[in-house]
Amino acid sequence: MAESQTSINIPQILAVAIVGFFAIRWFLNKPASASAPPASSSSRGGRQVDVTKINQVTSMFPQLDRRAIAWDLQRNGGSVAATTERVLGGRGLDNPPPSFQPNIPAQETASGSSSGVQKRGAPGQPDLITRYNLQGRISGKGKEAEPSEEERMKSAWSADKAARAENLKRRREEMILAARRKMEAKEGQA
Amino acid sequence: MTSVASKRLYQEYKHLTTDPPEGITAGPVSEDDLFVWEAIIAGPEGSPYEGGVFPAELKFPKDYPLMPPSMRFLCDLWHPNVYTNGNVCISILHAPGEDPNHYEQASERWSPIQSVEKILISVMSMIAEPNDESPANVDAARMWRERRPEFEKRVKADVRKSLGL
Repeated sequence: MAESQTSINIPQILAVAIVGFFAIRWFLNKPASASAPPASSSSRGGRQVDVTKINQVTSMFPQLDRRAIAWDLQRNGGSVAATTERVLGGRGLDNPPPSFQPNIPAQETASGSSSGVQKRGAPGQPDLITRYNLQGRISGKGKEAEPSEEERMKSAWSADKAARAENLKRRREEMILAARRKMEAKEGQA
Repeated sequence: MTSVASKRLYQEYKHLTTDPPEGITAGPVSEDDLFVWEAIIAGPEGSPYEGGVFPAELKFPKDYPLMPPSMRFLCDLWHPNVYTNGNVCISILHAPGEDPNHYEQASERWSPIQSVEKILISVMSMIAEPNDESPANVDAARMWRERRPEFEKRVKADVRKSLGL
């Protein structure tokens, strides 16, 4: 008797627990899901594209228009990989419609979608003379010809580490200076 | 593993010093670290890059020569296959098996039988003949394709500027 009563009670308790669990879950989820649609619709209306994603793409392709990136990201569901692939595939990004005005802060470093002239200076690499500290060796307006240098360039492998480093440095510098001399001579002829 | 890589890089350095290919100078920035090299490549004759010299940095992974180095130009190089940050996009620098775009021959990609010398020679010929299929610099690629005279003019101006003239 007692045994049959417990065997009835346990499934009952389980059933109540399960129904109760789902009921509580439904109640708890309800407010969240009720507020969710307005949130997503407002983000759609406000054209919110993740700025960090735009920055990621911009850092790879600084030449691209940030608005175009935002437009592409919005349409492909915010996939940086898809946008990158598209650019690398040579298809380029579509021009966003004029109505698409996302709220994207300009990146601190990049000047954004400015003119090509500005972009050109952006990498801002110093010239080779500055880079390799060769100012002192171009004083003679390229007149100081060093003909024997060519032969010396084909120098042998030195057993000394410092001599090897010195040799490499000299070959490197001579290559730059020779290029400069040649260019100067060519311009002198013209 | 590191000693294998160091040994190999040392051998390659030696070879490139005693028998350097025309227009290429390359070696480690410092022999204390054989995994960072600096190379100078001369602009190929007959191309708008002729007369220019272009420094680049090569960084080798610890498991070289199983994996290829990366290469970055240290100067402004307006070229369809060079990113605006200087990174070079060429199949020989792509690891075997890794082919994101599915148009490279396996034989074109990196394998341990390649070498620094072969990379630099490949890059030199890439400079002369851009590969239009995989533009790294989309603007440069478009200019090269559609407005060649403007492209050449710009490259020549950059070359001149880089020599401090």
